[in-house]
Amino acid sequence: MTITMRPRVLWLALAGAALAGHAGAQELDYWVYSDFAQGEALELQQSFIDEFKAEHPEVEITISGRGDDDLLTGQIAGAASGTGPDVFMNSTSLGAILVEAGALKNIYEDWMAMPEEFRKQFNPDLIDMCSPEPEVMYCLPYTGYGSFMYRNLAVLKEAGIDPDAPIRDWEDWKAQMEKIEAIGKKAVPDMSQTWFSVANAYSGVAEPGEWGIDFENDKTLIEPDKLAAAAQLLVDMKPYSTGTSEDDQATKDLFMSNELAFIVGGPWINPIFEQAAENGDLEYDWVLVPGAEEGKHGGVKGFEFIGVAPKENAGISWLFAAYVAEKSQMSRWAAALGRYNSNDEALADPEVSGHPLLKITNDAAKNAIFNRPPFFVEAYPADYWSVLLDGIASIVEGDETPDEGAARIVEELDEVIAYN
Amino acid sequence: MSIALLPRMSRITPWSVAKWTLAICIAIVAAFPIWWMFNVVFADPGQPVSLNPRLYPTSFSSGISNIQRVLTETGYLRAYYVSVAYTILTIAGVLLVSSMAAFEFALFDFPGKRILFAVVMLSLMVPMAATLIPTYLLVARLGWLNTMQGLVLPGLASAFGLFMLTQFMKSIPREMLEAARLDGASHFQLYWHVALPLSRTALVTLAILTFMKTWGNFIWPLVVSQKPEMFTVSQVVSLFNSPLSHTTVDVVMTANLLAAVPPLIFFLIFQRRIVEGIASTGSKG
Amino acid sequence: MRLTKSLPNFMMLTPFMLLFGAFFLYPILSGFGYSFFDWDGIHEPAFVGLKNYEMILNARSSRIAATNLLTYVMITVPLGVSVAFGLALLVDHFQGFWARFFRSVYFVPVVMPLFLAATIWRWIYAPNFGVLNLILGWFGFENVRFLTDPDVMLYSLIGVDVWVSAGFNMVILLAGLKDIPRHYYEAARLDGANKLQEIRYVTLPMIRPVMIFVVTYSFISALQVFDIPWLLTGSSFLDYGGRRDALLFPVMDMMGRGFGRLGFGQAAAYGFLLTLVIVAITATIFAFQRKKENG
Repeated sequence: MTITMRPRVLWLALAGAALAGHAGAQELDYWVYSDFAQGEALELQQSFIDEFKAEHPEVEITISGRGDDDLLTGQIAGAASGTGPDVFMNSTSLGAILVEAGALKNIYEDWMAMPEEFRKQFNPDLIDMCSPEPEVMYCLPYTGYGSFMYRNLAVLKEAGIDPDAPIRDWEDWKAQMEKIEAIGKKAVPDMSQTWFSVANAYSGVAEPGEWGIDFENDKTLIEPDKLAAAAQLLVDMKPYSTGTSEDDQATKDLFMSNELAFIVGGPWINPIFEQAAENGDLEYDWVLVPGAEEGKHGGVKGFEFIGVAPKENAGISWLFAAYVAEKSQMSRWAAALGRYNSNDEALADPEVSGHPLLKITNDAAKNAIFNRPPFFVEAYPADYWSVLLDGIASIVEGDETPDEGAARIVEELDEVIAYN
Repeated sequence: MSIALLPRMSRITPWSVAKWTLAICIAIVAAFPIWWMFNVVFADPGQPVSLNPRLYPTSFSSGISNIQRVLTETGYLRAYYVSVAYTILTIAGVLLVSSMAAFEFALFDFPGKRILFAVVMLSLMVPMAATLIPTYLLVARLGWLNTMQGLVLPGLASAFGLFMLTQFMKSIPREMLEAARLDGASHFQLYWHVALPLSRTALVTLAILTFMKTWGNFIWPLVVSQKPEMFTVSQVVSLFNSPLSHTTVDVVMTANLLAAVPPLIFFLIFQRRIVEGIASTGSKG
Repeated sequence: MRLTKSLPNFMMLTPFMLLFGAFFLYPILSGFGYSFFDWDGIHEPAFVGLKNYEMILNARSSRIAATNLLTYVMITVPLGVSVAFGLALLVDHFQGFWARFFRSVYFVPVVMPLFLAATIWRWIYAPNFGVLNLILGWFGFENVRFLTDPDVMLYSLIGVDVWVSAGFNMVILLAGLKDIPRHYYEAARLDGANKLQEIRYVTLPMIRPVMIFVVTYSFISALQVFDIPWLLTGSSFLDYGGRRDALLFPVMDMMGRGFGRLGFGQAAAYGFLLTLVIVAITATIFAFQRKKENG
């Protein structure tokens, strides 16, 4: 019983705990998205770490995965308190906010000190994106994604839908949903719940330049008419939807238990589906996100970078970042997982380019809109996404018509941007 | 259940039927979510809920493999260790620190006693929300983020614990202290050998209440432990539950179930003390 | 002279008082100080006077949070206490083993940490295929989107809340019931009182002090509601409150401002405002009780 614990023992225990919490300077915390720290992706990342440690035995590297928002807030709060990660990845769409928070070191000199052979491996557009000003460079381009649509083939067949016939347009897509509903299954997740799925719906009608913020004129680039069309689609889809968002675990469970036909998402969902397919429990494929008209396709794309915190061990952190983003690591990464990355030479590797997931990612990227453009310019206003999603919700709940709602949303977004 | 346990209902009245129906229905509502959590873990993961609503466990082996997976493939064991250490150190600290103070407040007079006690008691009214952010900033400045002392120390000065123990120790007869003092006991020995053993019941109750509060603490670890090495069970469970965790329902529920095991075991062992402890805080407060 | 005599006393008090000063008094005072500064935790704090308070009082999110909180408190406190009282009366009508059995079963949810209660219920509430919707479906009900229909979300939260807290309050009330001398009931019965009148004229007046404790405690915890809505909506510091902010509450808003937007000054001001409200409510309940006792 704890009551009989002598005070001396207690103080010793406390002191021991205090010592255990102290971190040495050569211990690197490496933060990644949660799908990078699971299954096959984690094995590969861990082997990168082990290889790097073989060359630098004095370093200890701990990889940890986090959900999108936790990743960002941890990096920001960590920059404030000095306890954040040493090396970390994040979406380029959040670069500006991380720069503002002082989370990213200017790695320009480190970059220039690397051999030409290394530097020319990377996609030059993405290097420009990481370098908002001359002699300033905040990140190394790392990975990327495009969104597409997973289809449960068993559900389609049961509903009498031929999976080989392409989905022509939204009308065709909705007709399929109706057939799926008729056999008592669900067609889609609730795509009005996250900005990502709203963007996927919107991209089926809009052009790449019609999404994001024009910071010079303090205006949103969203077209009200097209947003109204996308909102109408979301309203029409409501009866066929599961009521859960596309990244909810319940949604994936429904898909894997043959209760749900479509999920629009990124390559990060694939590992658990792949696993289920290997066990023989799931039959699925992927196609481009349907667009409003024939010939048009939707999709959202984005890039992730790897950055270094401005801390005392930034030197070794940079070496590690450069190591994982380098060609031989990135080609193994792409070949094993089919995940896109920003190392052009790695992608050109013939072993890589044949991967089906990479192929759909590349096809999707041709039509796709960027996730939250522009990058490394200014941080999005805090309320931007909640204004958009609350507005969409009120249309889907039937409080406003799509036209009224979309016009109001765009107006409010402009106000939010101007107020910022 | 044996016949002897059934109440002596010689007459079955409408009232007694209603009473029993109601009591049993509520018992089902109270226990169902926990029962269901258990069933999800011990069920074949591929089956949709519409075909298998998990009203009873259906696959023992799935449950075992779920538990094995969570324990071996994720950071769950480490989180368990952190949570156990956090809980034990907090209980030990709260008991020691507040019993020492309660000993003085209950049994002795000294200058400033009433003011000090009043200030501490006033703090019972102040919500956690008021101190959370400034305490976080203080802990960050001390460099104690992601450390055990950062987790534990801010929770040790429990005004509630002090109040409870002071009330209890007031009933210790002064003559016993006098007698011990005449035998040559020092001030500290009076506390250690007389007051503490006599307060056993209250200390155990406080330990149990502190256990429940600390094991279930979500908001403080959420802000203080940002590194995976220092994640507590509550954080790991919420990570499993977060939409982007890329896990399936059976794994999530396994994480939940494992987090529920210590409090449930504690409850089964200390049932009476827990219930009586809470009841007495209510009637005294 | 007196002080030296009291030295042993003070030495025993030191650990508690040091910790209390460092982790309660200092944070309270420094928090009050921070609330007048604009501070992101990184750059130098800048004095802004009452601007933080102004921003909070004018912000859309804090208005929504306050409205949600008001509705929530007005329902969950009376409902939770009534359910607990009902349970206490029910259990009190059993004897021996069954009284202990039902008391224990009703108490089990209390043992669950709040974070677990929320994560389990998130699954039970799942739409279409969730187990609760499935059961409702057997009785012919339409699918309810417990966690995404803004008109329903608050009630879903209250459901979890009552599930968690009823057993706790029941145990306290039950102890109060046990303290009522049996002959009071006998006297009432001799006067011809029925069951309801017994409750009205004997039980309620007798357990008033316990009831006031339960109500006050429920108020204080309801005003600080955080864990359950946070987890039911799958919140993070950047995105919290659920669809159309239907489950946005002040402590969540405070945390989001602090950690999501690095507005520690604003968050401190928020905390201070909340404290004022809670202390005012507690004080009112106590004053009310005093008045009734004296009058």
